[in-house]
Amino acid sequence: MEKVDIMLEPVRTFLIQIAAFLPKFALAIGVLIVGWLLAKFARFAIVKALRAVNFNVLTERAGLDGFLSQGGIETDTTGIFGLLVYWLVILAALIIGFNGMGLTYVPSLLGEVVRFVPKLAVALLILAFGAYFARFIGNAVLAYCRNINIQDADVLGKLSQYAIMTFVVLIALDQVNVGGDIVRESFLIFLAGVVFALALAFGLGGKDAAAELIDRWWPREKKDDDS
Amino acid sequence: MDKPVNPHAEKAPPQRAIDQYAPDDALWYKDAVVYQLHIKAFFDSNGDGMGDFPGLIEKLDYVRDLGVNTIWLLPFYPSPQKDDGYDVSDYHNVHPQYGTRNDVRTLVREAHRRGLRVITELVINHTSDQHPWFQAARRAPPGSSKRDFYVWSDTDTKYDQTRIIFTDTETSNWTWDPVAKAFYWHRFFSHQPDLNFDNPKVLKAVIRVMRFWFDMGVDGFRLDAIPYLIERDGTTNENLPETHAVIRQIRAQVDAHYQNRLLLAEANQWPEDVREYFGDGDECHMAYHFPLMPRIYMAIAQEDRHPVVEIMQQTPEIPENAQWAIFLRNHDELTLEMVTSKERDYMYRMYAADPRARINLGIRRRLAPLMENDLERIKLMNSLLLSMPGSPIIYYGDEIGMGDNIFLGDRNGVRTPMQWSPDRNAGFSRADPQRLFLPPIMDAIYGYEAVNVEAQARDPSSLLNWMRRMLAVRKGSKAFGRGRLSFLSPGNRKILAYLREYGDEAILCVANLGRSAQPVELDLARHRGRVPVEMMGRTAFPPIGELPYLLTLPACGFYWFRLATDIEVPSWHAELLASEERPVLVLFDGWTSFFRDRVVPWRMRMAEKLRAQFETDTLPRFIASQRWYAAKGDPIKRAALNDWVLWQPDRSSWLITLLQVETASGQDAYFLPMALAFGDSDDEQVRALAPATLARVRQQSQVGVLADAFADEAFCRALVAAIGAGREVKCAQGRLRFTPTTAYAGLAGDVPGKLPMARPKFQSSNTVVMLGERLFLKGYRRVRIGVNPEFEVGRFLTEVAHFANCVPVAGAIEYVAADGTATSLALLQGQVANQGDGWSYTLDYLERTFDTQLAAATAAPADLHGAYLSLVHTLGTRTAELHKALALRSGDAAFDPEPLQAGDLAGWKQRVHQDALATFALLEQQQAKLPPQAQANARALLDARQQLFDRIEACGMPAGACLKTRYHGDYHLGQVLVSSNDFIIIDFEGEPARPLAERRMKHSPLRDVAGMLRSFDYARWSAVLRDTYTQADRDRIAPLAQGWVREAREIYLRAYDETTRGSGLFASFGEVRGLIALFELEKALYELRYELGNRPTWINVPLQGVLTLCGITPETRTGGAAP
Repeated sequence: MEKVDIMLEPVRTFLIQIAAFLPKFALAIGVLIVGWLLAKFARFAIVKALRAVNFNVLTERAGLDGFLSQGGIETDTTGIFGLLVYWLVILAALIIGFNGMGLTYVPSLLGEVVRFVPKLAVALLILAFGAYFARFIGNAVLAYCRNINIQDADVLGKLSQYAIMTFVVLIALDQVNVGGDIVRESFLIFLAGVVFALALAFGLGGKDAAAELIDRWWPREKKDDDS
Repeated sequence: MDKPVNPHAEKAPPQRAIDQYAPDDALWYKDAVVYQLHIKAFFDSNGDGMGDFPGLIEKLDYVRDLGVNTIWLLPFYPSPQKDDGYDVSDYHNVHPQYGTRNDVRTLVREAHRRGLRVITELVINHTSDQHPWFQAARRAPPGSSKRDFYVWSDTDTKYDQTRIIFTDTETSNWTWDPVAKAFYWHRFFSHQPDLNFDNPKVLKAVIRVMRFWFDMGVDGFRLDAIPYLIERDGTTNENLPETHAVIRQIRAQVDAHYQNRLLLAEANQWPEDVREYFGDGDECHMAYHFPLMPRIYMAIAQEDRHPVVEIMQQTPEIPENAQWAIFLRNHDELTLEMVTSKERDYMYRMYAADPRARINLGIRRRLAPLMENDLERIKLMNSLLLSMPGSPIIYYGDEIGMGDNIFLGDRNGVRTPMQWSPDRNAGFSRADPQRLFLPPIMDAIYGYEAVNVEAQARDPSSLLNWMRRMLAVRKGSKAFGRGRLSFLSPGNRKILAYLREYGDEAILCVANLGRSAQPVELDLARHRGRVPVEMMGRTAFPPIGELPYLLTLPACGFYWFRLATDIEVPSWHAELLASEERPVLVLFDGWTSFFRDRVVPWRMRMAEKLRAQFETDTLPRFIASQRWYAAKGDPIKRAALNDWVLWQPDRSSWLITLLQVETASGQDAYFLPMALAFGDSDDEQVRALAPATLARVRQQSQVGVLADAFADEAFCRALVAAIGAGREVKCAQGRLRFTPTTAYAGLAGDVPGKLPMARPKFQSSNTVVMLGERLFLKGYRRVRIGVNPEFEVGRFLTEVAHFANCVPVAGAIEYVAADGTATSLALLQGQVANQGDGWSYTLDYLERTFDTQLAAATAAPADLHGAYLSLVHTLGTRTAELHKALALRSGDAAFDPEPLQAGDLAGWKQRVHQDALATFALLEQQQAKLPPQAQANARALLDARQQLFDRIEACGMPAGACLKTRYHGDYHLGQVLVSSNDFIIIDFEGEPARPLAERRMKHSPLRDVAGMLRSFDYARWSAVLRDTYTQADRDRIAPLAQGWVREAREIYLRAYDETTRGSGLFASFGEVRGLIALFELEKALYELRYELGNRPTWINVPLQGVLTLCGITPETRTGGAAP
């Protein structure tokens, strides 16, 4: 009997533990349900708020929404913000839930993710405004060049737009700490390459003109020397 | 009507009778048109070769019909006739060859009866040397009062600064009289001694003469040679202050004893001297403007307006009660005293190359020979005469372009017998030709066989008939006689343009003095917005706008325009307004700038402001100026974008809006699509949109226009294409539904996208765009909830009934609101070639017929209207066919005919009864304000209340079965298009004033028939009441018009009856005539209420209609017979 008792002891302990754990679990489930509701509400609120201030128009104009839909994503940037907030709240609920259950290492893992979400949001914001700004500058350059009758106005406009866009993307990437040094360095290499290419192009293209200039300056001195 | 206030009336009973016919108007001479004639040359009644008073009386109707209102008789007193009667030998009598004093009395009475005034001559400067006064004077001792009746001198050198007037015949102003043994003074011929007005007895005697004739009823005197009455040493003996004192005494006598009489001064002087003869309104009423006349000739000769403008600018202001008398020609020579010697030489060269044509300081020719018988120039001269300030005088014979005979002595060449007919002696006299006082003109051009009244009266385009029309037009406006004159100075000097303004009335006269066509640009900025209406044809010209008004005139052409404020701009006119006038909207982001939720966050505020500006300022301003805006004059508070869609079928984009227009009195929905074009990229587009510009817009550095999209060709094509494709477009709230009918493919052809678009027409309630020769897109502007019957019925007739004589419907655009109710926005129809609507066709026809009949000497033939009536027959047939088509049973509940129940009829009767009550109430209320000719009829109708109600009740239920069907609803002559002797029935919208649901109800189609019958009646009155006709003309054409209306009704009903037989619409036509009468009464009552509210002068037309329908004979019974 005692043997049975001994054998049953762990089971009992287990059952006691389970009995002690169940309320916590129930609480966690409750927290999660509330969190889920809250998340839904938060998403609804944030999407409404963003639409009320025409954030969707901004991203649409910036070309971000078009970019997303091209990539097969059905929602627009505003929707993504909503989604981010939704998951933020869900994750927060999960952390509380897990904490309540005493599972400490899971929350710390989730905490990392939670800390990342705002950065992602900020990066998105940077992308949205940056892309709009890039487009605005691109259009301004285009209009200006057209007005002063520069032939390749389109190319110049696009060039300036993409140049700004590149910076914006880099800033956004920096914000989310992706790539870090690699991106930065490869950008520097790329920029140096572009500058070098330009220098080479101007140098080669302007070779004759430069030679003429030098010719104009140098021979005189030579003549002066002769005389 | 004049009351006999003349104290002498008791002693002269005939005058009372006479004055009853002369309207009381002290300033009558300001609106006078004078016909100057010579008794002896006008018409000879007794065959003695000399015209006489009975002859003139016989021809008074001719004078009245000419359109003048005053006759001026040259001297008819006993005289040796050495100076054509101006040498009077007895002031109180009539030359025995002309008639007796009784004849003069009769003439005056007869003339007054015809509304004509009579003025004659008071030759008081001189008498004949045969006058008893002179005979007594030469025998009386020097110094005696009798002797002093004339001016005597012992020498012929007294008053040596006085000029000699008749330089061709006289060498001195003094002539020796052997009996008196002294020289006597004469300013004219030596046989015309001047009276001595320094002798008070002379003035007394002259006043006695004047009162003698005034008492006989004469309305005025021309005071002959008035500047020469008094002589003073050391002066030119013209215009002396003493002379004016004499005139003032004469005028005082006139004013003291008579009313509505006239003194006309003949003073051949410069305007500033003539001005003196008006005094301060206390000398003569009128005076001739001598210098103007030669300058009109000069202007024509030189093809330059300068002479006329110059003399009119030198003409001083005259008193309020004074008036100029102006003329082109008279019984004297065309005097050139009032021109410089250089100008005189020029005039001689131009107009009197033959020295025989010259006499004294002038030219003895008539108007037509002076103008080389060029009809255009004669008309131009007359148009100037009739439109210059003053009362024009027309010299007898000039209205038919009579010639002259310069081989006759003195000025007799222009005093030949009036040419009445191509008969012997020009129809002037039955005497032997050699007995005539002067031979008539007999040459090939001007001879009486070529130029005579009889021929010209029958020729509608003759000078005589033209003069009649001109005078009728002139009579229509007081501005000609009384208005201010102001010259315009266009760059082209060959154009003489001036304005005559009187009160609010403004008349623009433009004349081309050149011998070739001339353009002119007139600065009429002061009258911007007015519509020039050409007065002869009453054609409305495009309104006066921002730019100089451009006109082109044919050689010697002229126009008279009434600058009207009450006339609609011609319907084809499109205002090409300089878009600079429009407000500027700053669009920062294209179309989306208007929508708060479609702009980037930091511009939301701007969008709100822009939208507010757009809705409360830009749109209201635009809409208020549009013809299709229904509530004219009701200021718009806001035009809110009720629903909208940014429609982008391909690369273009348009904003299609439904506006909620809010005014003080309510709200209305309007349909307004808008297009946007920017100047840099699309100049042509901007220009095309300019006429329909709503606002100028700026987007950063780009400027452009925001316009009504119906002016945008691409938009209209896109609409057509969308209809063809049967698209649906989602709007902010509802959706737009484009529906094609089965006829679309056939009507639109293969390439509807390439059809050229004509400029859109902005009509009263819709906008019409024609695409190629195929399609007709009609955009409704004011929209009402519900399907427009025009689409519904048109579609039924096109797709189901296949009715050929309507415009086929190709499709429609509807707005479907969120709750599913549809509203028609536009209709696409096939284009039908046509010759205008039945209304204008009929009016043109009637006008032509009447004009021909007025000019014709023979009575109208029995089948006068044959060709027109065959058209009416076709119309009746088509109407019946339409009703048969609409009675087709197709299973569509909206169209399937229903049997007529007794309850229906009772309801209709009830309604007409109520209409009648409402009409009576309105009539009673406004009775006092009605024009006089309508008063009697209005009273008759009010008295006949019970009769009217009985008529309504008398309409019984037809015995046989009758059908209620859909019907046209607003059927009249304006709703049928004439197309190669057939009719196309259009506009199935129904009566616009009624709600859509009511218009879609079924009713008896006979209502359409009644509408058309009333339309005939209106056409007849519109034609008869044209203002170019005189009352006499109207009296003549009234029976013709009545005959026309009777025949048209008869034929129309017969054709309708024939075609509907066996159709099942009703058992027999005879049974339903009562119904037609009921509907006709309903329509006439409606018209009556409409006219009471809108055009009280037309009230008589429906009044007579209602009376006739009640079986009462109206006052001027010319109404059509009741069916």
